[in-house]
Amino acid sequence: MRTEATIRIAPSAVKRIGPARVGIGGPVGSGKTALIEALVPRLIGQGYDIAVVTNDIATREDAERLQKSGLIAPERVVGVETGACPHTVIREDPTLNLEAVDLLDRRFPKLDLVIVESGGDNLASTFSLDLVDYWLFVIDIAGGGDIPRKRGPGVLQCDLLVVNKTDLAPHVRVDMDAVRRDVAKARGPKPALFTNCLTGEGIDAVIAELRRSVLLDA
Amino acid sequence: MSADPGKFLAALQHGDSFFPSGGVAFSLGLEALRDDRRVTDAAGVERMIAEQIAGRWASCDRAFIAAAHGAADLDSLATIDYRLDAMTLARELREGSRRNGAALLRVHAELGTPRAADYRALVRGDAARGHLPIVQGLVLSGAGLELGEALGIAAHAFTVGLLAAALRLGLIGHVGAQAALKRLHGVITVALSAPLPAPEDAHAFTPLTEIAVMRHETLSGRLFAN
Repeated sequence: MRTEATIRIAPSAVKRIGPARVGIGGPVGSGKTALIEALVPRLIGQGYDIAVVTNDIATREDAERLQKSGLIAPERVVGVETGACPHTVIREDPTLNLEAVDLLDRRFPKLDLVIVESGGDNLASTFSLDLVDYWLFVIDIAGGGDIPRKRGPGVLQCDLLVVNKTDLAPHVRVDMDAVRRDVAKARGPKPALFTNCLTGEGIDAVIAELRRSVLLDA
Repeated sequence: MSADPGKFLAALQHGDSFFPSGGVAFSLGLEALRDDRRVTDAAGVERMIAEQIAGRWASCDRAFIAAAHGAADLDSLATIDYRLDAMTLARELREGSRRNGAALLRVHAELGTPRAADYRALVRGDAARGHLPIVQGLVLSGAGLELGEALGIAAHAFTVGLLAAALRLGLIGHVGAQAALKRLHGVITVALSAPLPAPEDAHAFTPLTEIAVMRHETLSGRLFAN
């Protein structure tokens, strides 16, 4: 039987492991920033301490959009330049993103979660396992109903696939039932969720998945 | 280059752009020179890089890499680190060098390269600046590479970094970049064989590029951090 003495750990021996790091990748215009804008206020409302690193391709638009959004304090958003290599800075050489996460962690020592948003990319983008603990890949219905069937590395390897803009299906002649079947086939046992980030539809399910898999409190 | 296969392979590892260092995000002014139409083609790229090697890398960066490579302790490293910081006028060059150095130092600290974690702690504690040439000297020495090898690797990384930036800026093709690199080997060889200045005698004179870097700060659309 364990006694208190056997399980007591000296405070100096406890190493803080830092905030959870969640990557959000996906093609240009799929709704990565919109997803973050939907997630951030809800997570803050649930008591989480959050910061965001953005990887813009040619501008600081995504970083500035979040900084000016009023959803999160501007100093909690840091932009990292990609040198036209959005793949590289989240996979082969994520060091500048890691430094940005460290900067935020030092600035806000109680952080629970740092979201790393990749630059708009293509279906082959994936995150380094040394950069994030968990990553989402966002695709959108308006980008074509055949994306899940094409089985790019992003769709297959991510921890959570988010299919956004489901409301647009009838307007872009996409059969949602076929998409759901293709997603299920491509993902197997790994999770996939369907959202409309503008209305908030499906966002609670994404948060529940994050809390279960990453924040370890639900 | 060393006849020792282990050292040769170490040199390849540390000179390879596959080694993570954050370098992909920096153009050292080339993006602004392209936008200002000061560099418009492959010949212009090659000229710019040759000027950077002769006017900055050989007379400045190289002096600090060498001093850091032979530094006896971390305090003396921090001292020359502050000197290089004071010498680097353009903000984006200064900050870029520090960010690039921090990224490289991070990887070496995680790999267990001798003294890397200790120096990183100084940088993170604001007791050192962490400029790229200082970090290069420290970690390449720690990786067991001789001074000549370390300088060759750093010169190669400097040149290839600029050529890769030029390629992504649409100024040069993949074959043109390799042909330029081969010709630039001559410039690098001259740079490596010049008398090595001490850090207190180091100097750089690349005004067009420094002005370009300063102008880069205000560009609205930009791919690179400098």
